[in-house]
Amino acid sequence: MQYQSSLKREQLIELAIERYFGNVDQKNIDGVLECFHDNAMLTVQTAFATHDGKDNIRRMFTDFIAANKTIIHRDFTCTVDEKNGRITANFTAELVDHEGNTTLLNNTNFWRIRGDKFQEVYVYMSGENPLI
Amino acid sequence: MAQIPYEYYVDIVTKRYFHGVDNYNLEQVLDCFHDDATLTEVTSMTVHEGRDAGIRTMFEGLFAAHDRIWHGNFVHTADTQTQAICSQFSVEVTPKGEPQFLRYENCNRFYLRDGKFDKVFVYMSGENLLK
Repeated sequence: MQYQSSLKREQLIELAIERYFGNVDQKNIDGVLECFHDNAMLTVQTAFATHDGKDNIRRMFTDFIAANKTIIHRDFTCTVDEKNGRITANFTAELVDHEGNTTLLNNTNFWRIRGDKFQEVYVYMSGENPLI
Repeated sequence: MAQIPYEYYVDIVTKRYFHGVDNYNLEQVLDCFHDDATLTEVTSMTVHEGRDAGIRTMFEGLFAAHDRIWHGNFVHTADTQTQAICSQFSVEVTPKGEPQFLRYENCNRFYLRDGKFDKVFVYMSGENLLK
């Protein structure tokens, strides 16, 4: 679906990288959820897993954050479509669990923005889906 | 070189590249790439190097293995500033000799240089077809 976005190029990048991933890495779930509309949808497309609505997205992030001692998202390459309210980023996700095991993923996220928040998020992963 | 317009990115992906793939037009497909381009299937980390080497061989294998290939339902993130377009889409393929088609929900990231593909990255929702 096509949405109307109010964000400029730099604001789209700030929302996706600083406010979203910055808060994921800080394990600040409320900060992460502030980026989403109440009826937003997050789909891990490579695993056909969809989290529908803010309550389900919160549950997913609560489990994901609890399962990992350290979460780092880095090395972003952003592609920004300002006039259509869309941003895509390729990045490395570095996850360290409580046993000290490290998982490195090379992922791509697609965000579709309505107004100034995420309406739809799609994640394509290079490995097993940790967002369950 | 003047900045390439927004619609160029959508057109090269849909009207030239995927139209060529779906119609088994190998030369039209390869004409979208620079000769030193790479195509990487990220979910299996398979890298195809060179338009007339690895990429040609990969498409010859894809075409030989399937009776039907269709790409559609595109949603694009096109960026004239960074000369890139990232596309989400559905794929249906019918393997030769098989009665059923397979459906995938994939994405590609295309990075262009002077109007042609320099680096292409593919994520597949199922088993890698681009071997």
